[in-house]
Amino acid sequence: MESSDQEKAVAVIMVGGPTKGTRFRPLSFNTPKPLFPLAGQPMVHHPISACKRLPNLAHIFLIGFYEEREFALYVSSISSELKVPVRYLKEDKPHGSAGGLYYFRNIIMEDNPSHVFLLNCDVCCSFPLTEMLEAHKRYGGMGTVLVIKVSAESANQFGELVADTITNELLHYTEKPETFVSDLINCGVYIFTPDVFTAIQEVSTHREGQANIRHLSSFETLQSPTSRALPVDFIRLDQDILSPFAGKKQLYTYETMDFWEQIKTPGMSVKCSGLYLAQFRLTSPHLLAAGDGTKSATIVGDVYVHPSAKVHPTAKIGPSVSISANVRVGAGVRLISCIILDDVEVQENAVVINSIVGWKSSIGKWSRVQADGDYNAKLGITILGEAVTVEDEVVVINSIVLPNKTLNLSVQDEIIL
Amino acid sequence: MKALILVGGFGTRLRPLTLSVPKPLVDFANKPMILHQIEALKAIGVTEVVLAINYQPEIMLNFLKEFEKKLDIKITCSQETEPLGTAGPLALARDKLIDGSGEPFFVLNSDVISEYPLKEMIDFHKGHGGEASIMVTKVDEPSKYGVVVMEETTGKVEKFVEKPKIFVGNKINAGIYLLNPSVLDRIELRPTSIEKEVFPMIAGENKLYAMVLPGFWMDIGQPKDYITGLRLYLDSLRKKSSAELEAGSNIVGNVLVDESAVIGQGCLIGPDVAIGPGCIIESGVRLSRCTIMRGVRIKKHACISSSIIGWHSTVGRWARVENMTILGEDVHLGDEVYSNGGVVLPHKEIKSSILKPEIVM
Repeated sequence: MESSDQEKAVAVIMVGGPTKGTRFRPLSFNTPKPLFPLAGQPMVHHPISACKRLPNLAHIFLIGFYEEREFALYVSSISSELKVPVRYLKEDKPHGSAGGLYYFRNIIMEDNPSHVFLLNCDVCCSFPLTEMLEAHKRYGGMGTVLVIKVSAESANQFGELVADTITNELLHYTEKPETFVSDLINCGVYIFTPDVFTAIQEVSTHREGQANIRHLSSFETLQSPTSRALPVDFIRLDQDILSPFAGKKQLYTYETMDFWEQIKTPGMSVKCSGLYLAQFRLTSPHLLAAGDGTKSATIVGDVYVHPSAKVHPTAKIGPSVSISANVRVGAGVRLISCIILDDVEVQENAVVINSIVGWKSSIGKWSRVQADGDYNAKLGITILGEAVTVEDEVVVINSIVLPNKTLNLSVQDEIIL
Repeated sequence: MKALILVGGFGTRLRPLTLSVPKPLVDFANKPMILHQIEALKAIGVTEVVLAINYQPEIMLNFLKEFEKKLDIKITCSQETEPLGTAGPLALARDKLIDGSGEPFFVLNSDVISEYPLKEMIDFHKGHGGEASIMVTKVDEPSKYGVVVMEETTGKVEKFVEKPKIFVGNKINAGIYLLNPSVLDRIELRPTSIEKEVFPMIAGENKLYAMVLPGFWMDIGQPKDYITGLRLYLDSLRKKSSAELEAGSNIVGNVLVDESAVIGQGCLIGPDVAIGPGCIIESGVRLSRCTIMRGVRIKKHACISSSIIGWHSTVGRWARVENMTILGEDVHLGDEVYSNGGVVLPHKEIKSSILKPEIVM
């Protein structure tokens, strides 16, 4: 059976913006978060390559608040590399997660797609889009939400969903509830048919109508001020679309049994880089490094080394290490669970554990850069910003160092401005 | 006459302010730091100022063009490609500093504020006939710095002692030099320290003289010293041209307010406060020992002391801000929030109190 020419798909990836991204400092001083490398590839590259696996993918759109020039180079190079048009669309003001999609609907619908994929850039998962699409077609609804089971204690940090165990229909949705509703949470990956745009418009019109009601009853004054205050074109996907349309046979769920994380902090990027490296072991093992200490360095576990990087054969690298372009790793170095960014020099016998070493930094001989590895703690991963010099024999533990600093004394549990 | 200002690098000690602008452009007493020095140089007839920098010349250049026009003085940049220390930049800027006239040139450290008695320094230099003159200033704790050991009557410098363990003198290098062009022949184009290599050489030949700096001196390269420096500066301004300072029933001590700033009813402002252009201080606000940068709004009933509030920030109603709180650019402190020494990076909203000194990224 031929796949119909009419069954085109487009993907929309929400990449966020700079003012919202203060959590990703100090790394975000140099690079927009979506372009920060995980497992050797920019963060946004992972959902993009997942989309590329879809049949009949016509276009990929990145929607965000960054200046166009920050994405111009990446977008043109990835378009020619993957041979699918990738375009960055800048929102002029916040429209909410659904509002942004609606705002650009004419551009998104240009290729007349039958399915629109919506993904959040800061989600780390296996993106099982092809399987999800098959399920979506079976369900026949307006939208399908990717969900995952988490521990009951952590569920209230996310959007919780209740789904019918037989039909997988989305029955109920609530965002960050105070009491336990469900251990199934929203992964931030969706498939919609074009009628989602009609649904968004309905919400917008309804809200406009509400705003026109001048007389506020005493009941309405008790309602949450935020829902009254939202502008007409600010539509949130979760509260304004998923919640009201739940239980109406329009929305369905697809559960993933693979890994899922949100990349909100720099610390999490070390964890997620490791998850993607582990995934490469299964999907593209040729990308991973190998070596046993004879002709090339000893490699333990999943490690990515950029082709231009030079690693001394007496170094031992891994598990969970990603080494970017032009890095030089000297003799006797030990690297564990870390991300080493472009142009870094790691000198002889240094040790780096649970850390991110920023672009152009220099790690001195016998120095030690490490952290506990608690990805959610403020200082659980040591982060060295751009051009930081750690002098010989200095120890840096559980600290964050802003760009252009030289450490000639050991530090622990500190933020160095 | 020419001058070189050593601007140096990233100004990391003045972060988070220097995350928004290069250090020479950080405002001090409502004026970019470097403008204080350029104006002092212009006042004694310097026609060209060279800025030795190793960072962000593009941002500086726009401002410099503006200063050039306003002050009618030539300003150029000499950019280091690698850090050259405290003397190397002079060698790098050699061609700009020597004009064949044989006149000495000034070298200033950009972090220093003082009264800049440059005319007196020229007279002193001509008087002793040596090759180089440096300003020294008396400090209480000389062991923190490099001490200049000199003959009290003539000012002839005998030697430099870095962080001495026993008392050898209480005068330290104030970072203001007047040098004959021949000094440039002693400096190679490589990372060099003027205190460790060049000056000791000249002192050894009995050609280096030190003048004790009259008036105040402060290195304002870090927030604590910046706040102390403002007190000293405003004290000095009171003596020289007190008309520039604010007066009124709601003013205590020395207070500098830009003419475009607005102050509400029932406030008590001072001592030692600088309020920048376009600021709005709402009613019932108490400010003491603080700097309020351009475009800041301080809401009603707030109380701020010993702190620096960065450009375009807001401080909420009834907020209390004290103990070396530094708010970067565009930081918004919510109503009723307490900040005890919070250091907040740019573009943040603070909704809950900071109970002990902490960096908020």
